[in-house]
Amino acid sequence: MSRHHSAELESDLAFGNYVYQLLILLTFAAILTAALAFQFGDGELPCPLCLLQRVAMFGICFGIILDFRNGFSYRNVGLSLLCAIFLLIVSVRQTLLDIYPREGHAYIGSAVFGIHMPVWSIIITLFLLMAYAVQLCVLGGDMDLPKIPAGAFPILKRIGSAASLYVIALAAVNLVAVLLQCGIGQCHTMGYALLQ
Amino acid sequence: MMLLIFAVLVAALALAWFDRERLAIAALILCLVLSAGLFLWEVYSPKYGFAMPWITVERTLLPLAAEG
Repeated sequence: MSRHHSAELESDLAFGNYVYQLLILLTFAAILTAALAFQFGDGELPCPLCLLQRVAMFGICFGIILDFRNGFSYRNVGLSLLCAIFLLIVSVRQTLLDIYPREGHAYIGSAVFGIHMPVWSIIITLFLLMAYAVQLCVLGGDMDLPKIPAGAFPILKRIGSAASLYVIALAAVNLVAVLLQCGIGQCHTMGYALLQ
Repeated sequence: MMLLIFAVLVAALALAWFDRERLAIAALILCLVLSAGLFLWEVYSPKYGFAMPWITVERTLLPLAAEG
C-alpha cells in the first residue's frame, strides 16, 4: 500500500530521511576512523575477519553514498542491509571463535568499555538493523520519497558529499594498509608483510 | 585475496561517487561474493570443518540422588 502526502509534508519527510542517513554514515565514518587510529596509533594490526568486518561497514556506507549522489532509493537500503547481514555473520562467527580462550585463539586488540571489537560489531549491527527497521516502519510505504533528491536540501547535500568523500578516502587508506600488511598473500597480525 | 577485495571495494565506492551506479552496484556485489568466499576459507578448519567443538557443552552425568 502506498501513501501520498502533501508536498510540504513530503519535503519534511525527505529531509528527515536524509538527516537519518547522514547520521548513520557519520557513525560508521567515526567507527572506521577509530579502527584506523587503533591500527596506526597503537600498532594493533587487524585480523582477516576484522578486515572483512571493515569491508562490510564500507558496504553499509556504500548504500548511503548512493542515496546522496542519486537520491534516496529502497534498493540502496537493501544493499546496506545485505552488508549489515554480512557484518553480523562475520562478527558472530569471530566472537564464537574467540569466546573460549585457547592456544592461538583469544580476543585481540584493546577492549573498549571491556568489550572487544567483534562483540562491538554485533552490537553496532543490531542497532543498525533496528534503525533500518524503524525507518522502513515509518517511511516504508512512501512511494514519493525517492522522487526528492538530496540536492533539494543544499546544505545537507554538501555535508553528505563531504562525509561520502571522507569514507571513500578511508577506504583508500585501508587499501594501502592492506597492501602493506598482507601484500598479495594471506593476512597476518604479526607485522606488515611489505615492511619486513 | 584481501587486497583484491579492498581494491574492488574502493572501485565500487569511487564508481558510486562518479555516478556510475550500475557498475558500482556490480562491483559491490562482486566484493561481497569475494568476501563471503574468503570468510568461508578463513573459518574452515581441516580438523573441525565449520564446527566449533570448543563451545560444545556436555551435561555432566550425576547420580540421581545428587540431582535431588
